Amino acid sequence: MKVFWIARREIEAMFSTTIGWLVLTAYLLVTGVFWFAGVVAYVERSTDLVYNPYGAPEMQLPMLVSEFFGSCSIVVLMIAPAISMRLFADELKQHTMELLFTSPVSVLEIVLGKYLGAMGFLAMLMLCTAHYPVSLALFGDPHLPSFALGYATLLLMGSVLIAIGMVFSAYTSNQIVASVLTLGASLALFLVSVLADTPDDWQAKIALSSHLSELLTGIVRVSDLAYFVLLTLVALFVTHQRLESFRWR
Amino acid sequence: MRAVPGGINPASMIEVDQLTKVYGATKAIDGLSFTVGKGEIVGFLGPNGAGKSTTMRILAGALGATSGRALVGGIDVLENPRAVKELVGYLPERPPLYTEMTVRAYLRFAARIKSANDPAGRVEKVIEQVGLEPVAHRLIEHLSKGYRQRVGIAQALVHEPKVLILDEPASGLDPAQRVQIRSLVRGLAEGDTTVILSTHVLPEVEAICDRVVIIDQGQIKLQGDVHDLEGTGQAVSLVVARFEDALRQTLAAIEGVQKVTETGKGRLHVSSDRDIREEVARVAVPFGLLELRSQHQLEDVFIRLTKEDA
Repeated sequence: MKVFWIARREIEAMFSTTIGWLVLTAYLLVTGVFWFAGVVAYVERSTDLVYNPYGAPEMQLPMLVSEFFGSCSIVVLMIAPAISMRLFADELKQHTMELLFTSPVSVLEIVLGKYLGAMGFLAMLMLCTAHYPVSLALFGDPHLPSFALGYATLLLMGSVLIAIGMVFSAYTSNQIVASVLTLGASLALFLVSVLADTPDDWQAKIALSSHLSELLTGIVRVSDLAYFVLLTLVALFVTHQRLESFRWR
Repeated sequence: MRAVPGGINPASMIEVDQLTKVYGATKAIDGLSFTVGKGEIVGFLGPNGAGKSTTMRILAGALGATSGRALVGGIDVLENPRAVKELVGYLPERPPLYTEMTVRAYLRFAARIKSANDPAGRVEKVIEQVGLEPVAHRLIEHLSKGYRQRVGIAQALVHEPKVLILDEPASGLDPAQRVQIRSLVRGLAEGDTTVILSTHVLPEVEAICDRVVIIDQGQIKLQGDVHDLEGTGQAVSLVVARFEDALRQTLAAIEGVQKVTETGKGRLHVSSDRDIREEVARVAVPFGLLELRSQHQLEDVFIRLTKEDA
């Protein structure tokens, strides 16, 4: 239950700071532009298909959906450091960790509470874009499982990035430093696949983008899911060890 | 370490035995041992960096010790910190406040994570106890330092702790607020809450504490009953227009004088085991005596003990 109270406080804190509202605005604005552009392109291609059935490029609905979520994943990459940066850095700066450390709460509960709070905020951002599939469903017959998979993929990706951000946030009391380091590490993890010559190279296997692209095209493999879960757990474990070390410093 | 007679409540709530904390090459506390009885109020005194906050943080479960043992309510802080934290309410030197929250929301959060019974009811009770009613709905970031300090005290009290550890509780409070907090702490102790507090305001210790523990450089210099300590010495401080070494020698020759310390330009501190004001005045007048005052007794003990090693 204490995990829930800590998570709830984190979500409330995000909404009572400028940064929370800025992240929300930026996310809705940019994803809104992506959605609008995607729908316009889809409509134009549909029109081409009617007038030129053999000459128009091949198209299908997942094209719109996977392109949209692919673009959203870049936005999540950019906003995740802004969500995670304050989780511990702000507490260290304001000396408020002392409240948690002197309350009957375990370090694991603190880490999980903070993680779930940040994930809850991210899920709320996703929920704010739920009107896209809903509006399609009102006027057509979209493939809703594709949307569900898209949102789940963004959350999985966000989970890894937020957990990595928590590590950096626990190592510095400066939110900007935490955010820049998280962004750097996230970009490196995302783009490391460019160093690979073949898809079997280790650079491709550890890259976030490789696992993401599979999921976004609708292929769900246990190895991809395990990648996201494992990375999240490793980052949460490092954060836990870091916080545990505060008692002995 | 010296000790003066002072009764220790046999039902001790806190037992500290050979507690040591080392930071790198520095010993923050070095073999501290003391006990605090149930319902007792103990004042922690010592200069900055003496090890008071480190000791308090260890007792509150926020910090591990390098060696030694600390029991709160019979539970080892280092072995079972979670159980100890349920018993302890702790106010750090800098109150841990989420400034973007309102006072009431913050205290509710504190009550919930501290496993308070009836969190909402307890919050309203401490708001009333600490005098936060006028600001309960306001954001903490808009509060004055005094109110923030009181919110810090309220969070320490919110789960009805058996032991209250207060690091500089009077900091930032005006005299009227200090009196209010003093009577609050007294009331809690009468209800069997054990209190350890650190302060730089020595009259505060005399007004509120049953016992005092003086720490310097990580070691206990003296512990005992406040009123027993008051009888351990007397001192005067004086200011003269023309200081000469002859004055120091003459003062040192007065019967009963233990130590003469120059504390500033023309300023002297003379400690003794009896009332020497008349002799000091007589000796100092030829040197242009400008001021002579009887040093506060506890203050004198404190200065003597913490300057001895300096």
